[in-house]
Amino acid sequence: MRRIAVTVAAALVLLFAGSQPSPQARAADSRDPIEDLLAEDCVDGTAMAIAQAASRLPQEGGVASDEWPPHAIGGVIPPIRSVSDPFPTFDGIALDTENDRVILSDENRHSLLVYARSAGGSSSDPTEPVQWVFGPKTRLGYIAGVEVDPRRREFYTVNNDSGDLMTVFSYDDHGNVQPRRTLSLPHQSWDVSLAPRRDEIVISVQQSNALSFYKRGATGTAAPIRTIRGLATELEDPHGTYFDEAHNEIITANHGNWTQIRPYTPYDPIVTDVGEYKSGAFHPSAITFHAADASGDVSPLRTIEGDLTGLNWPMGIDVDLTHDEIAVANYGDSSVRIFRRGDKGSVQPVRVLRGALTQIVGPVSVAIDTKHDELWVANYGDHTAVVFPRTASGNVRPKRTIRNAPKDTPTCGFTNASAAAYDSKRDEILVPN
Amino acid sequence: MFARLANGNVAPKRVIEGQATNLSRTMHGIAYDAIHDEIVIPVALGGAVLVFKADAAGEVPPLRAIQGTRTRLVRPHTVAVDPVNNEILTADPSMRAVVVFERTANGNVAPKRVISGPATGLLDIVGLDVDPIRNVIVAASRKGNGDKVGIFVFDRLANGDVAPKQFIGGPNSKLAHFRQVTIDPATGNIFLAQQNTRMKQMEAYVLDKPREGFKAKERDDDEDDSDSGRLDQMGFIAVYGPDDNGDIPPRAIIKGPGIRLAGAAGVALNPRKKEIITVGGNGFQTFLLPDFFKPLRKLGGTAQP
Repeated sequence: MRRIAVTVAAALVLLFAGSQPSPQARAADSRDPIEDLLAEDCVDGTAMAIAQAASRLPQEGGVASDEWPPHAIGGVIPPIRSVSDPFPTFDGIALDTENDRVILSDENRHSLLVYARSAGGSSSDPTEPVQWVFGPKTRLGYIAGVEVDPRRREFYTVNNDSGDLMTVFSYDDHGNVQPRRTLSLPHQSWDVSLAPRRDEIVISVQQSNALSFYKRGATGTAAPIRTIRGLATELEDPHGTYFDEAHNEIITANHGNWTQIRPYTPYDPIVTDVGEYKSGAFHPSAITFHAADASGDVSPLRTIEGDLTGLNWPMGIDVDLTHDEIAVANYGDSSVRIFRRGDKGSVQPVRVLRGALTQIVGPVSVAIDTKHDELWVANYGDHTAVVFPRTASGNVRPKRTIRNAPKDTPTCGFTNASAAAYDSKRDEILVPN
Repeated sequence: MFARLANGNVAPKRVIEGQATNLSRTMHGIAYDAIHDEIVIPVALGGAVLVFKADAAGEVPPLRAIQGTRTRLVRPHTVAVDPVNNEILTADPSMRAVVVFERTANGNVAPKRVISGPATGLLDIVGLDVDPIRNVIVAASRKGNGDKVGIFVFDRLANGDVAPKQFIGGPNSKLAHFRQVTIDPATGNIFLAQQNTRMKQMEAYVLDKPREGFKAKERDDDEDDSDSGRLDQMGFIAVYGPDDNGDIPPRAIIKGPGIRLAGAAGVALNPRKKEIITVGGNGFQTFLLPDFFKPLRKLGGTAQP
């Protein structure tokens, strides 16, 4: 009992720490307390003026608008510090070797950047895009995967959050333009892959652990023509997906997180009749292969999974049908892993690109160019896309680099954050991604 | 993890990430336990709550993971830690519940208490904190278009289908599309991060099924969740006193273009330095506001205590 009492007392002391003035602070009562707080951090006079104004009520010369909320302190207040990344961060990538273009999605500034396929080099300066789709009319949110239709000269992207849309743009679009068409999608859709002969697209959906198929030109609220979803599918937090028409397969990268999600939004009724409750689970990352015609709760044809694979938060994938290989952007260990298309089980990749020389940092997508024998990697962690010889392996330098910010520009490393905490022991701000 | 004094475009000091962490790239809550020096994080896509050493970095496994059939967790969205009473609290919008575990719970363990049911009014619970001094749990819960969008205050030991003891919400409150809530332990003041003043937009799908009656937005200027740039529709940080109740406006506020940059989805406090940290979108911002850490004047009163 005594131990509990001591713990509780210690806890209360810690909780109140900071709210009670120290003896030194009491001795310096004649000084403005804001001045003391700022002096400790060497903050400038502007911040001091902001803080002092914010502490006054509107009628006392404070900064609040008195219209709303009435009689409140505070108001229109600038921050004393602000952390954000003003540059794009690359996410998805799609390559068009017929029209010599590469399209990259930018999750940070909500834009699509289009470059010449041969762009990039060794410059430290940002690379000039040939098109940049950017602005409120585009309806781009926290976009992820990108797909390209060379024949129709269109490119697609998917809002992973903030909008639940697939948007389609033309090669003639530039700037703040409306998409040519949009399709409403399930929340947390991540990637899109086109099957030109079938005239279908497949969409991976993180939160419902599903693959949804639509007709290529579907618009508005068109429903999926079929969905692969359920426990047997082994789809678990799916990300990159590829529609392999040549082998009639859908290849998908999975992070391994699973939960039996139920309706939860403010517009959904309370759902209690969900059948047998299956709890959440963490499984290893895996590449799953499903029959392209499959529908419902069906098992994969095969999976690549296990310790030998080195899969670690696999994001985007691409398939080289000429050499029968799959490239995986392995975000968790900043590598690109190449597997044989027919691999299954716990197998070693045939090649791994990894190491400081590669400049692969937090890769989110890959694209294989068999025409020019190149491999593209889009980095989320370093404001770059890097290009290698297709068969590069190990810790090797890229052939050329596309930059969306000057060399060595840092990035905050998070997107669409919803919460924060303050670590009082380390004087740190914690942000979950 | 960023240095408190970080400013501008800076990289984090350290990151916990990778397969072995069991984290995902979809996490909507976080809590720091200053007494036990631990970080608590919900993993929505894994139906789990994870606990890490607070100095963890890189690809490290969690110290503890609450996950399994006994937990009843589905999609835990937000967390709080009560280091005084040794409890971890999580709110799960799929369960429509606030769920309380022993702080040291690990594995497939049953909750100690569950606040859930029609009387609670809870639905889409996106924010949660606990005040062990005043013995209350504060939950921020949203509904589509109707009443009971706001801040729900329960007795800390509430269990089952119980009504809140206080509720802040209604047209005068302008509470609509909010997320994280946090409490200043010294004063009991409640801080809420609101992204904008419009109700959250209906999603096109119910999980993987198209939603009946959903109407797709056809133009870019239709109403939606996005920040329109209008001052009266922008998000804000709202502050209330611990006894506040009913359809009342915030007692203190941070609003305007400064807060717009962050988007105001999350809010954290540094009481020692009188700082309020707001996070949203792709950045965070720090505001220095000592008066927000003082007891707020009583409603209708004329003098500050």
